Amino acid sequence: MIEARRLAKRFGPVEALRDVSFKTARGTITAVLGENGAGKTTTLKVVLGFLRPDAGAVSVAPGRIGYVPDRPAFFPWLDGWTLLGLGRSPAGGAESGNGREFRARVQAVSRELHFDPGLLRRRPASYSAGDARKFAYLQSLVPGPDLFVVDEPYASLDPPSVKAVRDVFAGLREAGKTVLLSSHMLAEMERIADGFVVIRRGATIAHAGLREWRLMRQSRAAPDLETVFLRLGGP
Amino acid sequence: MLDADILALTRRVTARRALASPAAVAAGLAFPAFIAWVGLADSYGAAEKLFYFLLPHVFLVAAQDMARTDIESGALENVLFAGGRFRGYLAAKGPVVAAAAAAYASVLFGLFAAWGLAAGACRPDVVVRFGLALLAGLYYVALAGLLGHFLRGGANVLTVLLAQAAALLALLFTASSRTGLLDYAATGRFPGAGAKALFAGLVAVLPNVTVSARPTPFVAEVAAGLGLLAVLRWRLLRDLELGGRRGS
Repeated sequence: MIEARRLAKRFGPVEALRDVSFKTARGTITAVLGENGAGKTTTLKVVLGFLRPDAGAVSVAPGRIGYVPDRPAFFPWLDGWTLLGLGRSPAGGAESGNGREFRARVQAVSRELHFDPGLLRRRPASYSAGDARKFAYLQSLVPGPDLFVVDEPYASLDPPSVKAVRDVFAGLREAGKTVLLSSHMLAEMERIADGFVVIRRGATIAHAGLREWRLMRQSRAAPDLETVFLRLGGP
Repeated sequence: MLDADILALTRRVTARRALASPAAVAAGLAFPAFIAWVGLADSYGAAEKLFYFLLPHVFLVAAQDMARTDIESGALENVLFAGGRFRGYLAAKGPVVAAAAAAYASVLFGLFAAWGLAAGACRPDVVVRFGLALLAGLYYVALAGLLGHFLRGGANVLTVLLAQAAALLALLFTASSRTGLLDYAATGRFPGAGAKALFAGLVAVLPNVTVSARPTPFVAEVAAGLGLLAVLRWRLLRDLELGGRRGS
């Protein structure tokens, strides 16, 4: 679904990525792990086409993309319904989301996310941080993504919402969709992900599936992902 | 970069933004109100001169927030614009804003021409003047679009207006002499290359001065400038990236 080969990206004097490579398969959840400033967000933005790599290449299988950034932002003059309507193809009907099927889909996904659809009459700028994040999920999930990319998936979410989002990821995997996450929450990632990409100082230092991770844990006598991560990171 | 989907999306976002801004709506209504007031208080002829001279500014006022505000707000780092579609959205903004301003200008032109016909003061050359005003307006959209990559909010438009104010102040000095730049332009005869170059500079800042019943060679400058600005903006958009080094 995604294949990144030797990605490099520089912002002036800062070398954000120098050698990032990984592959993800359809119907899997892959977690990109790394310390602050390791290059996780930059990697996601290259995959999504917001940034162009200076070297290397990334290929993404054709299909609809969903994306929830670490800090969601929206056009401040549009209310929730209108923003959702913008994601519909012109053939989909009324832009402001008046179609019955579209509304039913919005209601269903809102329920999954524990999001109050009554908020959609307001502008997302007036939402709480948690609701704004859930709205970003809603905006990405309503069109039915084939690839779902999320940066810090649980940021600003309360425990019931964390569970709801985790269930959404699991549902997407069961439906054969691909999920790519970037997170610091190692225990959560270990709970949900099938594969891990560890980035350190702009380079991939480990890329493994769940089984390989378990072997790595055993070989390093590590009780959990956090310990493996810390030992991989080194001094 | 541009496709039908992204054009439709840009049109919807831009229309909603314009309607959500009371200042934009007020500015849009103030222009015809001012022209009507001049026409009623003075004469249709006086209103006509002002109408065609100021019509390109409808395009200029419409071309605020062409890129920088959207980029800095983070709103383009949205699922709607993944896969490089943010470049298409920003590229489409120019044509969308130009088309909206042209449609509004055409309505005003129709109303104004109808007023002229009713008053028996409408001449056939108004079509030429309207065409030249449209060209100058498109030039403004391209200029404000380019400036909008570097200046946020309405600062791109304000910069053009300040440059125009400076140019007009400079003109006041030449107007005090027996013949000034505008006199030369009106006759089409310049005393030398220096005066011609000065007027060309004025046209680059204030293309409204080319709007007349008789097109001058300076119209070609406006058209060439429009093309050049469009190419420069296209190159900026082609290389544009979002969110460099905001996260990790």
